[in-house]
Amino acid sequence: MGISFVRVYKSNCNKLFLDNMVNENLVKDVVKEPYKYGFVTDIETEKIAKGLNEDVIRLISKKKEEPNYLLDFRLKAFKKWQKMDEPDWAGLGYKQIDYQDIIYYSAPKQKEKISSLDEVDPKLLETFDKLGIPLTEQKKLTNVAVDAVFDSVSIATTFREELAEHGVIFCSISEAVKNHSDLIEKYLGTVVPASDNYFAALNSAVFSDGSFVYIPKGVTCPMDLSSYFRINSGDSGQFERTLIIAEESSSVSYLEGCTAPMFDTNTLHAAVVELIALDDASIKYSTVQNWYAGDEEGVGGIFNFVTKRGKCLGKRSKISWSQVETGSAITWKYPSCLLLGEESVGEFYSVALTNNLQKADTGTKMIHIGPKTKSTIVSKGISAGNSINSYRGLVKMGTKAKGSRNYSQCDSMLIGDQASANTFPYIKSQQPNSEIEHEASTCRISEDQLFYLQSRGIEFEEAISMMVSGFCRDVFNQLPMEFAAEADKLLALKLEGSVG
Amino acid sequence: MEIIEKIKTNKLVEKQTDIQKICLDKLQSSPLPNPKSELWRLSNKIKFSNFLDYSVNEKNLKFDIPYPNNSQKTIRLIIGQNCQIQLIEENYSIQQISEDELDKYIKEQISCFNETENWSDLLNLSLSCKKNILGLRINGSKIPPIEIFSHASSNSLNAKTLVIFLEKNCDIELLQVNLGKDNSSLSQSTFFFLEEHSSLNHGVVSYGKNGSNLLNSLNVIQQKNSEYSLGSLHFKFNYARFEINIKQSEGNAKTNIKGMQITKKDEQISTYTKINFDGPNGFLDQINKSLADDKSHAIFEGSIIVPKIAQKTDASQLSRNLLLSDLAQIDTKPQLEIIADDVKCKHGATISQLNEEELFYMRTRGITLAEASKLQLSSYFQEIISFIPVSKERWDLLDKILNEN
Repeated sequence: MGISFVRVYKSNCNKLFLDNMVNENLVKDVVKEPYKYGFVTDIETEKIAKGLNEDVIRLISKKKEEPNYLLDFRLKAFKKWQKMDEPDWAGLGYKQIDYQDIIYYSAPKQKEKISSLDEVDPKLLETFDKLGIPLTEQKKLTNVAVDAVFDSVSIATTFREELAEHGVIFCSISEAVKNHSDLIEKYLGTVVPASDNYFAALNSAVFSDGSFVYIPKGVTCPMDLSSYFRINSGDSGQFERTLIIAEESSSVSYLEGCTAPMFDTNTLHAAVVELIALDDASIKYSTVQNWYAGDEEGVGGIFNFVTKRGKCLGKRSKISWSQVETGSAITWKYPSCLLLGEESVGEFYSVALTNNLQKADTGTKMIHIGPKTKSTIVSKGISAGNSINSYRGLVKMGTKAKGSRNYSQCDSMLIGDQASANTFPYIKSQQPNSEIEHEASTCRISEDQLFYLQSRGIEFEEAISMMVSGFCRDVFNQLPMEFAAEADKLLALKLEGSVG
Repeated sequence: MEIIEKIKTNKLVEKQTDIQKICLDKLQSSPLPNPKSELWRLSNKIKFSNFLDYSVNEKNLKFDIPYPNNSQKTIRLIIGQNCQIQLIEENYSIQQISEDELDKYIKEQISCFNETENWSDLLNLSLSCKKNILGLRINGSKIPPIEIFSHASSNSLNAKTLVIFLEKNCDIELLQVNLGKDNSSLSQSTFFFLEEHSSLNHGVVSYGKNGSNLLNSLNVIQQKNSEYSLGSLHFKFNYARFEINIKQSEGNAKTNIKGMQITKKDEQISTYTKINFDGPNGFLDQINKSLADDKSHAIFEGSIIVPKIAQKTDASQLSRNLLLSDLAQIDTKPQLEIIADDVKCKHGATISQLNEEELFYMRTRGITLAEASKLQLSSYFQEIISFIPVSKERWDLLDKILNEN
């Protein structure tokens, strides 16, 4: 891992003196690498007209040939959404979203049914190749099954047969609606109800696709599962929905990656992720989020308003969230765990990096309901440029959470004197026989450490990268191997130019 | 909600002063605090409305102070009962601030008020009549410790205001005692202005009785090289709020806070602190302890704000909480808002019960469970109580808390 972030920088930073370390003028001299996933794929897509009303929802449902219960679910959610107000408590200060100016369904045109990957539009495959996502099944070395979602629709899922041998279902949610309707009807909306919040209600009304995973009893998923989300059109919102069910004594590791092209308009991404873990099951959900963050003046970028929640229903079940958040103009995301089952475990490991004018308000909620439940929160925030990076988390011990424990650690690192780092932990306990510990600190890059590294001949920016990587190590250790390397690279890339 | 009705119709106080008029006007636009704001979200609405149910009482009340007789070594003042204060000694002086000056200062403060954050102050200043506003200017050194009492009377709402200017190089110990009576509400607002190189060792003891309520707001402005220490204790209130607002106006100042709140029965006591660093090299060390028993609810919210100008700030905040009953609740929210990059800021929070291993150890030595718990609690309390000035030798606060039912 150490080698992966040794990068060649075009700056002349090694000539700098320590005193000038965070000098504004020098910052501008440092060459910036542009957002490399910012290209648009020229592909024929099928879009419906802009706007949102009951007819649009019926149309989406019809296009996807959905059963009635799902249409009802959508319509109910839409009615609830209409009555709700857009939340403003995080004070993120973005310009008002015109919900009638968004296309709610956009899909690459393709043949009715794809029997093998050869039938997928080669341009699409090329896009995913550019993104470094191996869709072709020949690339078995990576041993990761991928579900690729392009705009609103899942275009390909790899390694299906091998997974099917183990009884694992991994497909797009639209396919699951057709082939595993009973599971969808039983679990959809049970973790994040349609009326949960404004964006969850919107998603429930218009979600177009996403991934579905079902791990049967006693099965350890033979490979990591991965979904890759790509927004391609500038005027369509992305509303995917992910549902993962881990039956008794099963386990799965799921990876999620996101990129989008550069547009000077803001695109809305409002996803819902629901995880359900039964007795002794374990789900590990990792995200590397690198949506387009807008340019230096804050023009464009994705509004990332996501509801992610896991329910530890069974005894000794475990849900672990790990995330690396580097993209999006605004991130608003609190992956949470409802710890219902006795001795269930919730974990949250997060690195959030903001630069330029990005705003991130992210954290977690650990709701301890069952006895002897445990949760761990490790959050690392790095703010550079003029960005705002906030940790907002809730730890709640319910009256029945006897013998439960929580440990939270939130560290922030500030780079430059224009960025802001905030910590808002909400801690509530109603159970005397439980323990909550929370600690938070804020620091800057240590001059002593920097001097030490430089005196050993390590270049300035490389030293910064190493220190940032060290700062995030607790979280990177939790990421699957491929993601850890990617995350490291991503951070180095994002930070380029912010330290002078 | 009698008070609110009166505010709405503006019939609250006869012969209103300018200050009362300004505050009543502001309150008319927000007669009740915004329940959606973080500062009031957790407040028990029924209890709070109970606070406002009493009528304002401005009469001169004789009050028997349940604390030791005044010793000659301390200066004792009772807000509302001191007509003229002028103490000029060889090395110090304590004088009442002139009405005009006091008026001007309070108006200045009001102009910076935010209706959500300073709602308690607005209420206080709209109710506090001239007689109940005590303004003092203190200078010199080797000043004897000062005790200042505010008290409520039964079945009424009392508002008391204290303004103190500490002049350059002045160094004092001051204990403020807020006393509640049966079924009473007390609104206490305090304003301190610490000039350069001054030092204030401040203690706040708020001690209620059955069904007493308290809104206690403390505003401190610290100029550079000043030092402010606060030791506070709040207990036995049906409903109490302690709002601390400290501003280091030029940085380079030191603030130490050690506070404690104890809730029993169905009481709710909350502490809200906001520390603003408006200059570089500020220092803060804060610890807040809560203990919640029976069906009570203890709340702590502390925010530390470090803008860009406040480089080299060193701030730490710790919230420690003991939850002793299945039906009690604790909410705590220490928060950091930081823009300056060269700072050391940290906070921590814990919620737990008494340490079982320590209890077990003591029991194996033949100490009963009740005694062992008491011993552990006394060590938990002692850290804060020993920090409260003046009270140390003369008032057995620890005994009062431990043996209080």
